[in-house]
Amino acid sequence: MTRDHDVLILGAGLAGMRAALEAARGGADVAIVTKVHPIRSHSSAAQGGINAAISEEDSWESHAFDTVKGSDYLADQDAVEIMAQEAPADIIEFEHMGVIFYRGPDGKLGKRAFGGASLARTYFVGDITGQALLVTLYDQILKAGVKVYEEWFATKLFMEGGACRGLVALEMITGELHLLRAKAVVVASGGLGRLYEPSTNALICTGDGYSLAYRAGAPLMDMEMVQYHPTTLAGSGFLMTEAARGEGAYLLNSEGERFMKRYAPNKMELAARDVTSRAEATEIAEGRGIDGNVLLDLRHLGPEVILKKLPQIHEMALDYLGIDMIKEPVPVRPGMHYQMGGIKTDVEGATSVPGIYAAGEVACVSVHGGNRLGANSLLDTIVFGRRSGKASADYAKRTTASTGGENLLASEQARLQELLERPYTGDTPAGLRLELATMMDEKVGLYRNDAGLREALAALKEYQKRYERIAVGDKGRVFNQALEFALELGYLLDCGEAIIRAALERKESRGAHTHTEHPERNDADWLRHIVLTLRDDREPEVSHVPVTITRWKPEVRTY
Amino acid sequence: MKVAFFPGCVSKGACPELYVSATAIAEPLGLELHELESAPCCGAGVLSEQNPELGDALNALMLAMAEAQGADLMTICSTCQGVLSNHNYHLQRDPARMDRANATIADQGFRYGGTTKVKHLLWMLFEDIGIDRVAVAIKRKLTGLKVAPFYGCYILRPVEELGLRERPERKTYLEQLIALLGAEPVEYRGSTKCCGFPMLTFNRDKALAMGGNHIIEAKEKGADLLVTPCPLCHLNLDGQQPDAARVLKQEIDVPIFHLPQLLGLAFGLDPEQLRLNHHVVSTKGALEKVELKV
Amino acid sequence: MQFTIEVGRYNPEGRYADNAIPGEPYPPPWNRSPARRYQTYTVDLPEHAVVLDALIEIREYQDQSLAVRCACRSAICGSCAMWINGHANLACKSKLQEFTKDGKTRVESPPSMPVIRDLVCDMAPFWEKHLAVKPWLQNKQPVPPPDEEYRVPNAAMEELIQEVSCISCGACLMDCESFAVNSEFLGPQALAQAYRYTGDPRDAETKERLGQYSESGGIWDCTHCYECVTQCPKGVAPLEQILKLRKLAVDAGFTNNPGTRHADAFAESVRDSGRLNELTLMPKSIGYFNFVEQLKVLPSAFNLLRAGKLPPLIHHKIPGFKRIKAIFERVGGRFK
Repeated sequence: MTRDHDVLILGAGLAGMRAALEAARGGADVAIVTKVHPIRSHSSAAQGGINAAISEEDSWESHAFDTVKGSDYLADQDAVEIMAQEAPADIIEFEHMGVIFYRGPDGKLGKRAFGGASLARTYFVGDITGQALLVTLYDQILKAGVKVYEEWFATKLFMEGGACRGLVALEMITGELHLLRAKAVVVASGGLGRLYEPSTNALICTGDGYSLAYRAGAPLMDMEMVQYHPTTLAGSGFLMTEAARGEGAYLLNSEGERFMKRYAPNKMELAARDVTSRAEATEIAEGRGIDGNVLLDLRHLGPEVILKKLPQIHEMALDYLGIDMIKEPVPVRPGMHYQMGGIKTDVEGATSVPGIYAAGEVACVSVHGGNRLGANSLLDTIVFGRRSGKASADYAKRTTASTGGENLLASEQARLQELLERPYTGDTPAGLRLELATMMDEKVGLYRNDAGLREALAALKEYQKRYERIAVGDKGRVFNQALEFALELGYLLDCGEAIIRAALERKESRGAHTHTEHPERNDADWLRHIVLTLRDDREPEVSHVPVTITRWKPEVRTY
Repeated sequence: MKVAFFPGCVSKGACPELYVSATAIAEPLGLELHELESAPCCGAGVLSEQNPELGDALNALMLAMAEAQGADLMTICSTCQGVLSNHNYHLQRDPARMDRANATIADQGFRYGGTTKVKHLLWMLFEDIGIDRVAVAIKRKLTGLKVAPFYGCYILRPVEELGLRERPERKTYLEQLIALLGAEPVEYRGSTKCCGFPMLTFNRDKALAMGGNHIIEAKEKGADLLVTPCPLCHLNLDGQQPDAARVLKQEIDVPIFHLPQLLGLAFGLDPEQLRLNHHVVSTKGALEKVELKV
Repeated sequence: MQFTIEVGRYNPEGRYADNAIPGEPYPPPWNRSPARRYQTYTVDLPEHAVVLDALIEIREYQDQSLAVRCACRSAICGSCAMWINGHANLACKSKLQEFTKDGKTRVESPPSMPVIRDLVCDMAPFWEKHLAVKPWLQNKQPVPPPDEEYRVPNAAMEELIQEVSCISCGACLMDCESFAVNSEFLGPQALAQAYRYTGDPRDAETKERLGQYSESGGIWDCTHCYECVTQCPKGVAPLEQILKLRKLAVDAGFTNNPGTRHADAFAESVRDSGRLNELTLMPKSIGYFNFVEQLKVLPSAFNLLRAGKLPPLIHHKIPGFKRIKAIFERVGGRFK
């Protein structure tokens, strides 16, 4: 079936739904395409809070500077300024929508401390901020009556005359392939955590948007900047929010020492995430870990604070490790968490390909540069979700609709059919993904080196070859998840290649990219973004783009 | 063993057979029943809904009366058990609530100190009287009878307030007891579900369908009768059974026994003594299986 | 450790043509679905593994055709609610060891929802009910300017955290007894969200909401059985929110319904005599002038009479009954 809209939003998390709401307000006929129900989006896993310079003693300049410094000066400062300036209004708008933010004694929004911030500016709801924002935004989508193609899986962007004119999607419930035409597509499909094992990310974070846009010619930027979160639960890798450290939790090694004083004497446990994760990894490597973990100690916070402000992580530690954090410290370790890089966009969410917009984790404006501060991601989604929603709706007004696409639909049908019919040759999507993800964590994780990265690329090339023959263990049409996984694995492989190539290119250490053979930051040569552009499915073209500096010259970065 | 006995409203009203059979089995079980004649209705959760403070006060009054007797409070109704446990749990843990309740009943010369334990007869059989004592009292094994347990919501939920986290075995007492009495417990999903009574006046047909479906499920699994520790469930499952059959357009005809009636039979008492001839759905068929007449 | 999992399979394309006889009769009787069957798998996992670990293991290494919704694995996204040993739970929060009965764990799509495939059910009834309660803030006027938030006490926001914790997993609706017999019932989740907005001081439509929720299919169609409270993995306690709505609705004047009449009749009886007078409870709840409904209960009244179970015409007052009335008066509020 073929359907037409003005704007399509790919992904129904915070960025996607915010974009949809804005596009709808702009009068566009907008529809959301999402492979899971909006409420299942990974935005709900964000726990700690959302940043804004709202209070009297704060200023957007301070927020912006903290963000730029946090990014290890790789962030584009014009974009950071916009985000910091618009943050207060965006958060208040969500409050007007009904989000049950925490209040201070005066009934106004109350805040908590978070990593890398010079003063407390994180607004929150218990430790379920992402969920609270997501469910409220979903309720607003219901109120606005926005169309949602629920459990439709996008397989390819529809390109015509050099511009994006929609996409092809698999309707999971019927197994039917559809052509959805639109004048603009906003890619807001979230992250790629499944590329790493372990990861805090959900099973659905498979880098779909990065690959779809990349293959349509949209450049990817800063892909080497992969954030490891310092406190992921030992074993499962589940996220233990930074808010715990915001409320005062300590990080201890096997000697009971608050080791962060040797790495970040001022900010201690609230240093930027890359700094903290590396500190932990060093402690563990030097023999001061406990079974490969360090300890997150919240005992001194007391049951009142833990149960009121951090109830979800308290329950998680109890459920999945049998540990009551009121009485015992919790073993944690760094785990892959967030991708700072992504589809290169300007501050309106536009890419260099007409008709392709992007927002949220999948996009790289860049506001997070080499390292994202905690509570800035939720902000990124709503600020740039809004902007790309507006920009794409405006663009759609000046653009005519396409009447083509039937060829693409036919070729996609053939492609999927061929995939379904392949005989088993020894690999399963799950098995191959695990190999890939384990390799990425080993060779393209917290610490990188030339030899390791080259081995990673060789391994990836081998996985790509095996992927071309991968078979699917379910041949049916109704809700064929095996087919979905096989397609997702393809997206992950594209993302893996982009990350490795970008990591090979950057011969310095900056933010989350730590190169053991180039351990220092080198602004003279490397104050620039690494961009990958795919042309006609050949090897990607690697280029450099300068970082936009407005007012903050790079300084030595200590916490 | 001395207990402060609260028979509840229904056993003195529409289910007199419950009161009669409960008092009849006291002696074989060695129970000394001190009836709380001036204890008010527990409110059945209905009063607490619209006036939580009133619910607290009425229940605190009853709990204080039992406390004054220096004995555990024994109930013979799942609903009383659930409501009393709920109020007791929160009164014991929330000093503000306890103070308010005590301030109210102080006028009447009562004060609740928070020490009363509330236990249904079913729990007492296992936890206080002891199954050895119960076994000794059995004079007539109910061999050949297939008995389906029907707990009634409020003796199983809410889990926390009923102490089921500490004592999860309470969720299986009926099956264990049925087996002890020589009968065969019937396993079916409806045993822990709602009979529909709370909704009887709000949405009659749906309430009847609810209860009726559970009886039918038990019947299809071979049950000769259902046994329940709750007279409100009994009123719906027995009293309204003909109407339920009409709503569901299916014959049901499964007798519903009260817990003390089943015990009484096993202890050798006559069906008439236990008023088994005063049910809406005849108990004749089930009794014939153990060679009894009514 | 070895675990045995029995999975309820269903494929509308009829790939399981050999399942003419289902593994077991499917309770409850009004939801039988003969096309389904059970398939048994064994997995080897650590002892603290959860049901979802087993399902993922099966799906990845044993049977790629097993369809199950899951994403976060940590009880946040709400995707993996299903029947586990006959009760609705999140698969990612249910330890296999705790959910082993007779040596196995049985999982299946809940019979009260239509099934799409294997463990994937059609949640449309759930989402429709959510939408039906108008689950969005209807802003109290005047809305503060764009740079200012509403000023509200933190306690009011904290009170709503319980309801906002809802992850829409559907476990409550899957096990709701009332929904099982009455598909019109809005259900626990929708009504909990109804309270979330009714109880928000920034919402303007309190009275309209309470009126809507007092209608057929709303708060008075709940059978008060606590299944939703027991099964909810996030402590939302939907029943408690329904009870809050009932009180608010009655206080707001929506009293022309059997629920309110029932409570009033109950209270009157306890206040005047200390105990419940069942004889008058039914007719009073129905409403004396509601002749059609009164006639409907005559047969059962007659049955009770014939069995000698009709409560005494003269209702017995407990010793010291005046004390009860004094307590009613002292507490005040409704029922005084």
